[in-house]
Amino acid sequence: MIRRGLLGFGLAYLALAALPFLRDAFGFPVFYLVFLSTIWFWTAQATSWNILSGYSGYFSFGQAALVGVGAYTTAVLVGRQDWPFLATLPLGGLLAALLALGIGALAFRLRSLRGEIFALLTLAVPFILGSLARILPAIDGGQGITVPAPDAPDPIGGFQELLYLLSLTVAMGALATAFLVQHSRTGWALFAIHDAEDVAEGLGIPTFRAKMVAIGLSGLIGGLAGSLFALQIGFVTVESVFGLTIPLFVIVMCVLGGRTSWLGPLLGAVIIVTLQDRLASAGFQGWSLVILGSILAALVVLAPDGLVARLRARAAPVAAAFVVPFVALAIVGFGDGLVDWLAGALIAAAIVAFVPVPASLARSVRARVGRPTDRGTAAEPATQRPPLTTEPLPAPPDAGSSGPVLECADVVKRYGGLRALDGVSLRIDAGELVGLVGPNGSGKTTLIGILSGALRPTSGSVQVAGRPTAALSAHEVAHLGIARTYQIPRPFGSMTVRDNVAMAVMFGRRAMSIEAARDRADRHLEVVGLAGRASHRPSGINLHERQLLEMARALATEPRILLLDEALAGLNPAEIDQAVEVVRRIHASGVTIVIVEHLLRVVNQLATRIVVLDQGRLLAAGEPAAVMRDPAVVRAYLGRLADA
Amino acid sequence: MKLVSTRRLGAVMMTVLLAACSPAASPSAAPPSEPAATPPGSPTASGAASAPAVAPPSGEPIVVGSTLSLTGAFGATGVIHRLVGEQFVEELNTKRGGLLGRPVEWTLLDDESDGAKVTQSYERLISQDQVDLIMGPYGTPNILPAMAVAERFGYVMPQHTAVIAPLLTYECQFPAWSIGTTPNEYVPGLVLDALESLDTPPKTIAVVANQNGSTDFVANGIADDPNDPSVANVAKARGLDVVAEIPYPPTTTEWAPIAAQVRDANPDFVFNSAIGVDTVNLIQAFEQLDYSPPNLFSLFPAPGPLLGVGEAAQRTLSISLFEANEPLLEAAGPDVQAIVETYEANATAEGLPYTTWETQATASWTAWEILVAGVTAAGSLDHEAICDALHASGADTTFLGHLTFDPANNNFWPPDQLIKQIQGDEWVVVWPTDRAAAELQGPPS
Amino acid sequence: MIYLQAAVAGALTGGLFAVMAVGMSLTWGMLRVINLAHFGLILLGAYLTFQLATGLGIDPILTLVVSAPVLFAVGALMQLAFDRLGLTEFNSLIVSFGLLIIIVQLTSNVWSADFQRMDSDVNPYATEAVTIGPLAFPVPTLLAFVAAVLVVGAAHLGLTRTYPGRALRAFAQDRAIAAAFGIDHVRLGTLLAGLSGATAATAGMLFALGNAVIPTAPFEWVGIVFAVVILGGIGDAVGTLLAGLVVGAVSGLVSVTLSPAAAPLVIFSAVILALLLRPDGVFARRPA
Repeated sequence: MIRRGLLGFGLAYLALAALPFLRDAFGFPVFYLVFLSTIWFWTAQATSWNILSGYSGYFSFGQAALVGVGAYTTAVLVGRQDWPFLATLPLGGLLAALLALGIGALAFRLRSLRGEIFALLTLAVPFILGSLARILPAIDGGQGITVPAPDAPDPIGGFQELLYLLSLTVAMGALATAFLVQHSRTGWALFAIHDAEDVAEGLGIPTFRAKMVAIGLSGLIGGLAGSLFALQIGFVTVESVFGLTIPLFVIVMCVLGGRTSWLGPLLGAVIIVTLQDRLASAGFQGWSLVILGSILAALVVLAPDGLVARLRARAAPVAAAFVVPFVALAIVGFGDGLVDWLAGALIAAAIVAFVPVPASLARSVRARVGRPTDRGTAAEPATQRPPLTTEPLPAPPDAGSSGPVLECADVVKRYGGLRALDGVSLRIDAGELVGLVGPNGSGKTTLIGILSGALRPTSGSVQVAGRPTAALSAHEVAHLGIARTYQIPRPFGSMTVRDNVAMAVMFGRRAMSIEAARDRADRHLEVVGLAGRASHRPSGINLHERQLLEMARALATEPRILLLDEALAGLNPAEIDQAVEVVRRIHASGVTIVIVEHLLRVVNQLATRIVVLDQGRLLAAGEPAAVMRDPAVVRAYLGRLADA
Repeated sequence: MKLVSTRRLGAVMMTVLLAACSPAASPSAAPPSEPAATPPGSPTASGAASAPAVAPPSGEPIVVGSTLSLTGAFGATGVIHRLVGEQFVEELNTKRGGLLGRPVEWTLLDDESDGAKVTQSYERLISQDQVDLIMGPYGTPNILPAMAVAERFGYVMPQHTAVIAPLLTYECQFPAWSIGTTPNEYVPGLVLDALESLDTPPKTIAVVANQNGSTDFVANGIADDPNDPSVANVAKARGLDVVAEIPYPPTTTEWAPIAAQVRDANPDFVFNSAIGVDTVNLIQAFEQLDYSPPNLFSLFPAPGPLLGVGEAAQRTLSISLFEANEPLLEAAGPDVQAIVETYEANATAEGLPYTTWETQATASWTAWEILVAGVTAAGSLDHEAICDALHASGADTTFLGHLTFDPANNNFWPPDQLIKQIQGDEWVVVWPTDRAAAELQGPPS
Repeated sequence: MIYLQAAVAGALTGGLFAVMAVGMSLTWGMLRVINLAHFGLILLGAYLTFQLATGLGIDPILTLVVSAPVLFAVGALMQLAFDRLGLTEFNSLIVSFGLLIIIVQLTSNVWSADFQRMDSDVNPYATEAVTIGPLAFPVPTLLAFVAAVLVVGAAHLGLTRTYPGRALRAFAQDRAIAAAFGIDHVRLGTLLAGLSGATAATAGMLFALGNAVIPTAPFEWVGIVFAVVILGGIGDAVGTLLAGLVVGAVSGLVSVTLSPAAAPLVIFSAVILALLLRPDGVFARRPA
């Protein structure tokens, strides 16, 4: 798949790169090259944005910073220092990549970075750089810099041919990069980050690294294209490169085209650039922005997930509706040439993509070709849940060891003035099944968070398998062999049930490819009885199934210790029995389990030991029967109940 | 005035309600090529009666292509250049017999004040639409990219308003507005010349400069060379004390701090290297601090808003190519008067807030005349011939007389600028005295 | 003294940014709509004030009597449409960007692309100031500051003390639960968006009091207003006011101590530092 894809990019590149040399033979005007160069510029910029923001969900408003660094690198070195242009191009990309990595290193270190904070951080950067360029006469000083056009080497011909080839190279490189990233481990990690970042980290996915790779590539591509932008406009000013137009249009292109695929930015760029060109030259003076704005709004309303999603649903007809009119218009020599053919073909394709298909027809088509899903997994019909397999589970890699696998000492966690945990010490030995109980707000979920490495204690220490976790990030803690589930299930919403589990396998202690991981994922789904739902989206399964999915996903990391946070909440008695059976079998395979549960009946039935928390302190620990008789425990529970 | 505005309010409602079906407000880019039926005895006809009767143009139209910023940051002034261009082409076809006996058509694209779109549009005009001639766009940051395209194709490009001579290196670029090869020396020199004629010439100066491609060079010269002529250096050389130098970005929203600094420096003269409404904002901020500088100069102001400031903007100075002042119009003759009258009628119909003919319109008209002069002298549409003809014989223009173009000076002709001043509710030319419409007013003593 | 003067004048200008930002912040926080068209409404408000004051000779402040209800209606209708279309947060960004450029083009068609400014005879406020001792308080931005305090105060009281306000906050925190309690989010959202439209009318009026209006003005506001919205904490009215005042005051101080050109450098560097140190929004207070 990847090799075929790259071959495709290579062929497309060669075909498109031949255009300037065929110009004389076919006699098309040099404007076509200019028009296509504009498309390539925006394709590269939109792809640069999409690799980070589209894939991972961290929206950047700072695309102008990358363009600006690239453009000013070239402008200053070519326009003022007389460097040859080609020497400044890689430097522009490199400096922008460094800037991007710097932003990433600052922002992604923040433990509580939220999307809007990242958006503002990136919004601020172009303002700062623009201000610097104005203050420093060595960069600009306020007058702008003229960038003289370089001489094109002999076989290439003129300036526009050179610019076209360079733009094409950067854009194709960007698309191929986006394609590779999308189908790589980093790509999967980015999609997981988009859906639920801390869950991804907890499953062992190195999220920081994935984001840094993405932002670095984004910077490199943005800077390279920015450097070409300086050449394209010939006169670089703070307003022309650091303005808000570029970030806004880049976002518009990506969301319009579809953020989850490398193809989306290309589609968005082609559509917007063609539209703008047609509107500008069609004499709609005074109305072109009205039309552009209306089309944008209409497209987003019609295809909220981007055009790529519509395309996937009707790939062949849409492609045909594009190619046939394009060729036909080219043959009859319609209108103004290339741009009109392109516009006509786009309109035809859009009609086919958007025209509503009668529901009955759609159903019959879907039944025949299977339900299309985002990442190309085949579908199987939804069936009743099969009975659970009864064969014993394979033992995890390090089962059978003995002694403490999880220890914490004097753990304190404060939120502002509130002490959620107040000096908890606990030791859990291999093979135990510990029930963690306590009234609401007693600190159970906080303790799970700290044990799994997702939260850092204010003071105190945690050791997993004898290793202190203080200096480790959550995914490294996960790789020590600890996994957790969430009280409210948090699946990766954009992936199938199978891929949800496959993510945990893929990024587990033994890294493997997505194909191998999918095979294993199916086995884990069988263990929890979800095999029949493997191709569904999480939004298409019920709460109980989502809780089982949580368990399957945690199990797929092959943990020594499994932390189950109220995995049975909200289930009916039959479902509880099934879930209890699953927990038993997991435990029997050699996994140490800590289960947080409200239902004391269930805990008594399951646990080999019970630990009681109250108001952030360890109230009691020991044999279930003994603990339940402990007067302090009774008071803690009954007292609350009496109050309530 | 009141009537017009109320009607426009109605138009707003209509536009909002009927956005989809109401026709475009602005006229189409291509002017009518058929001769306008001018009723005999109408003022324009009699005004132009001195011109010899010419045969109406015939044959294939000659197409002139250009972009203007009809929207975006430069839109405010772009519209003036559109109106003047439309008027010029109309007059060329109806009164002057077209160009080389053929009618002229103008293909105008909107560049949205975006340098990238300027490049793309000129490439399209030349290589795809294959226009015969081109005109420059409006605004230095747009003219430079257009010039690069023109140079690649060897097209002659007259342009209205780029005055930073050192940047305009293409030999077939012809400026319609010149403040010399060193505007950073010429402009402050001219203004200080004028001010030195006052009873109490200024002894101290403050330079307040917009850091923008069009204005910063005039204020500072070459950015990283402190010895290059600049307003401050020229003033110092003339013995003035520079008491404040305040650069500000084009995006400035806070004017009070700038005003407070100027007030505390207490200069006799404030040189505001301004564009658009900068000086309006600055004067407002001065007023709020109850301060009023004795003398104030504004480089490239939008003319209308300053007149609306009222008392506080009185005596503000600026530079000019030509103003529609009675004495100047009187001296210029009926042709100019007719042009100015038609323009003002068109501008009123377009709904422009300020309809008086002034520098921008003059530069625009002159640029078109340069193009026509070059083609006429060359007798063909061959760009090399047009370029050579303009270098050899210059151009005769209605407003600025005969212009000569020396490639050694990037074709910038020796400047002959006027200083204008707000007196009452209009801009009047006050310098040099031999062409002044009124006397330069100094601060009240 | 010049520092104090610059800081005071800057803070007052910050009041204008706060009025621009508060509607945007509340609809973003409560309704999950990133409404770029809000800037278009501010622009319409400014032009309506210009038109009514210049055309009919109404005092520019009184033009709010017309422009506030008009923009209330426009804002409410827009929200109804957003709601009907079920847009996600970022799709709302694009649809409202489309609306913004439509508004920019229409204003340009109606009022021309040139600067429109109320002359001194219809707008006496532009050049006036209230002087207390050596300090001058420019009237246009002083009015903006007063308006900011009133709008933010009303928004705060409205959100904490009234049923619709509390219902909105409940809705913002958990849509499903709020819906279960029978909160009619469509009506509440429409009301909030309408009120936000009315604040846009106010902001537009205040802008026109002190500035020449031009169709592209919104693009000058986006950066600083976004900064104020996020620094203040999305959906936090009081935070927005504080952020506006501090941003304005810092900008004024930097203008006199360093250079006006350095103001964006310092402001946005401070924004970055503040975010790194207090990632929950620098002036954000936890919802009460």
